[in-house]
Amino acid sequence: MNTKKNKTLETTNITGSCSQFDFAGKWSTPVFLIIIYCVIGFFIWWLNIPFIEDIFTSSTITLIMVLGFQMYMGNSGILNWSYVGYAGIGAFLSAIFSMEPMLKNLQLPTMYPFLVDLHLPFLLALLAGALVATLVAALIAWPLMRLSDSVGAITQFALLIVINVVLSQWSQVTNGPRTFTLGGSRKTTYELVMVVAVVVIIAVFMFKESSLGLKLRATRDDRYAARSSGINFVAVRYVGYVSSAFIAGLAGGLYSHYILSITAASFYLTQLFVVLSMLVIGGSMSVSGAFFGTLIVTLARQGLSQVELGLTRSGFEAYGMTEIVVAILMIIFLIWRPNGLTGGYELNLNSLKRLFRKKKHKLVIDQ
Amino acid sequence: MSELIINTAQAQNSVNPILEVDDLYVSYGAIQAIHGVSLHVNKGELVSICGVNGAGKSTILKSIAGVLKPKSGTIRFKQVDVTGKKPEQLHKIGMALVPEGRDIFPTLTVEENLRIGAYGRYKPKTYAADLEDMFNLFPILKERFHQAGGLLSGGEQQMLAIARGLISRPDLLMMDEPSLGLSPTRVDQIFELILELKGRGITILLVEQNAKRALEIADRAYLFSNGRIEYAGCPKDMESSIDIAAVYLGANEGGNGV
Amino acid sequence: MNGKILIEFFINVFSMGSLYALIALGLVFVFGICQLINFAYGEFITVSAYILYFVGTFTSLPWPIVFLIAILVGVAVGYISELVAFRPFRGRSLDALLVTSFAISVILQNMFQIGISPRSKPVPVPAVLAQNINLFGVTTPLRNIVLIITTFVLLVVLTLIMKYTPLGIAMRGASENFVTARLMGVPANQVISVAFIICGFLAGIVAIFWSVRTGSVEPMMGGTPLNIGFIAVVIGGMYSLPGSVAGGYVYAFISNTLSLILPTTLLSFRDAIMFIIVITFLLLKPEGLIRGSYQEERVG
Repeated sequence: MNTKKNKTLETTNITGSCSQFDFAGKWSTPVFLIIIYCVIGFFIWWLNIPFIEDIFTSSTITLIMVLGFQMYMGNSGILNWSYVGYAGIGAFLSAIFSMEPMLKNLQLPTMYPFLVDLHLPFLLALLAGALVATLVAALIAWPLMRLSDSVGAITQFALLIVINVVLSQWSQVTNGPRTFTLGGSRKTTYELVMVVAVVVIIAVFMFKESSLGLKLRATRDDRYAARSSGINFVAVRYVGYVSSAFIAGLAGGLYSHYILSITAASFYLTQLFVVLSMLVIGGSMSVSGAFFGTLIVTLARQGLSQVELGLTRSGFEAYGMTEIVVAILMIIFLIWRPNGLTGGYELNLNSLKRLFRKKKHKLVIDQ
Repeated sequence: MSELIINTAQAQNSVNPILEVDDLYVSYGAIQAIHGVSLHVNKGELVSICGVNGAGKSTILKSIAGVLKPKSGTIRFKQVDVTGKKPEQLHKIGMALVPEGRDIFPTLTVEENLRIGAYGRYKPKTYAADLEDMFNLFPILKERFHQAGGLLSGGEQQMLAIARGLISRPDLLMMDEPSLGLSPTRVDQIFELILELKGRGITILLVEQNAKRALEIADRAYLFSNGRIEYAGCPKDMESSIDIAAVYLGANEGGNGV
Repeated sequence: MNGKILIEFFINVFSMGSLYALIALGLVFVFGICQLINFAYGEFITVSAYILYFVGTFTSLPWPIVFLIAILVGVAVGYISELVAFRPFRGRSLDALLVTSFAISVILQNMFQIGISPRSKPVPVPAVLAQNINLFGVTTPLRNIVLIITTFVLLVVLTLIMKYTPLGIAMRGASENFVTARLMGVPANQVISVAFIICGFLAGIVAIFWSVRTGSVEPMMGGTPLNIGFIAVVIGGMYSLPGSVAGGYVYAFISNTLSLILPTTLLSFRDAIMFIIVITFLLLKPEGLIRGSYQEERVG
């Protein structure tokens, strides 16, 4: 850590500039985030209240989702409207792989026999489910990668609609619009999600700091300039998109084995809204933004749910109030702080130093 | 930063200034594009703004026309402060901009392009006469009246763009690089046209990279460099100050046109 | 093929397509002018449908008046939401706009849930529309025919407005190049407001024909028309008004064709196959069938 004194460059990490000087400082981000996360996790474990443990587990799954989303969006500048669809694919497929054939026969009578017979150990099933999601993304995504701006957004959203319809209609795979019940006991444990979360934090950060991440950010800032530097921005986006689909599939698999009954509707607009709210408020340009966004919005939602419950019990029909408040918060942030609370910065030794020195020169982030 | 005035006879004689720009600062996002520019255009004058690519010529026009909002400074049009007003408001009070690169509406017909040109100042009674006037100036437009703008050639599109600016009978016509990308014959035509418009008494603010041609016809000129005015005055005086010419005009000989 | 089936087929395609075309038009009007995808469009429709419920149930006004009120409220909702919710965001990045419109959609949906009821409410259907008529030997609900005729009239009127009125010319110019249009004196606020007013107007009409068919309204009902609009726009083209209309009819055509030709065992797959076709459209021709005036750069 003594190398700090030699630094003359202020690295901002908005563009993830790979300044060699700051190597140690940059990598302090995943360290900090993991420490904070584990401290919270340990504290909640120590509390030993199942209800709160459950919230932590499901919030971690959301965190993983948000991290995967941030991985693509923060670096490419592209909001992937189809993202939660891949979580759905991972959720269903991993469940199909992990459930025992006998159980499938009982609960899901219409399923294809070859799917019924498939059986994998849980962890492999998780991976397999995520891989199927990745495969779907790999097959579909290439022609869509050259689209940007509004056309891109409409197309990705249409893709989400399509995935949703297929998931909710294909009875032989997903039990159609009916609930897909996994049965059995919860396989997604507290420990498992913590491990996966730590791994994903590191992975997403590594992606950001890799040459691929750098190339992707170059295309975000100016696709034509990037092209003339020899970056094939379609290919670079493709890899980012497919990789983030893997994380989505993984998160979906964790989710289905946590909640134990799923429908296609769980991986559609409501879920997308939750993910977006966390990134808008936390900041979509940095991994720290994804982390803190998830933390803050989760706490807010929990608090609001309690208020909602209290109001409903005393006679006011308040179901839906949480969503309204979160949506209003999002709009406020979009107006006043479009880069979220973290403003594109990562939590690392530099930014901490800056905070403590209360330096006035905040670098302007241009929109 | 006040403008350097060479011709003292004209110095205090701002007869009926249509446009007065005072100490304007404009930025594109984080980049400061215009640094303390002051200029003016009198009624009936042809004023030219010259300078190399990227000097800020288009930026100043866009700022005057309301497309860009200045950070500080004032713009007065017909002695009224119009700083920060929207483009459509400025058009309504008599400012017309012929944008860089022609920018006509490709799927709209010539007729519709012209009709939009008059949108802010449409007078049903005189419109037919105004159209006739355009046809006299640009016979080709009458020929192509019902054709889509995108089908016209580059030169024809430039005619359309200028006609679109003129048809609203503006008090100030601003033109952003009208000769850009045109063949030498067309370039001649354009400058002849601008002279003719001047002859009609139309006040013109002309931004041109082709400084040689622009200075031939202008009453006064401003030389831009890096968002600042480096020189202001009459073309005659400019050509006699050879060192300035070498620095700022040299790059423009035969610079554009196909 | 039996002639009667053919006639029924065409009536279904045209009535369904008309509804889909109207939905798509509402989306593309706003999108063409301000590049904004109005995620709250579904909620515009829902508001008008709720008006049908409230006014129809709690007053004894004749149904044409009820319909008119619903349409007027649709127009008002369109205008006000632009003024209050979208105008502050003008000039922001595209993603900010999209997310905002998404957030507004969520707010409205939940406001319906809290303010009215999470459960569906019945929409009174005028008796005259509920009856069937006999056309060329085929029995079909009268509302289908009314829908086809209404859409046809609306399309003609809108085309005339866009083609021959100064406002229409201005809007077309603005959708091609907004800044240049402003330089000609086209008022930005006015043009955008008009786009939203038309969008709200169309939402009102869609609300009428939609809830007359389903007989009910509920907080989330806007989702399905929005999806339909998206798919129709993807098929037909997002940058042109005729394209969106075509997309609506093509969507209805494909859907009904599948219903007709699929063997009964595969019928439950109709939607899935439909969407595979849509994916193919997406992959092969993401700009849609009909090229619009503005072409998104195809780089790469």
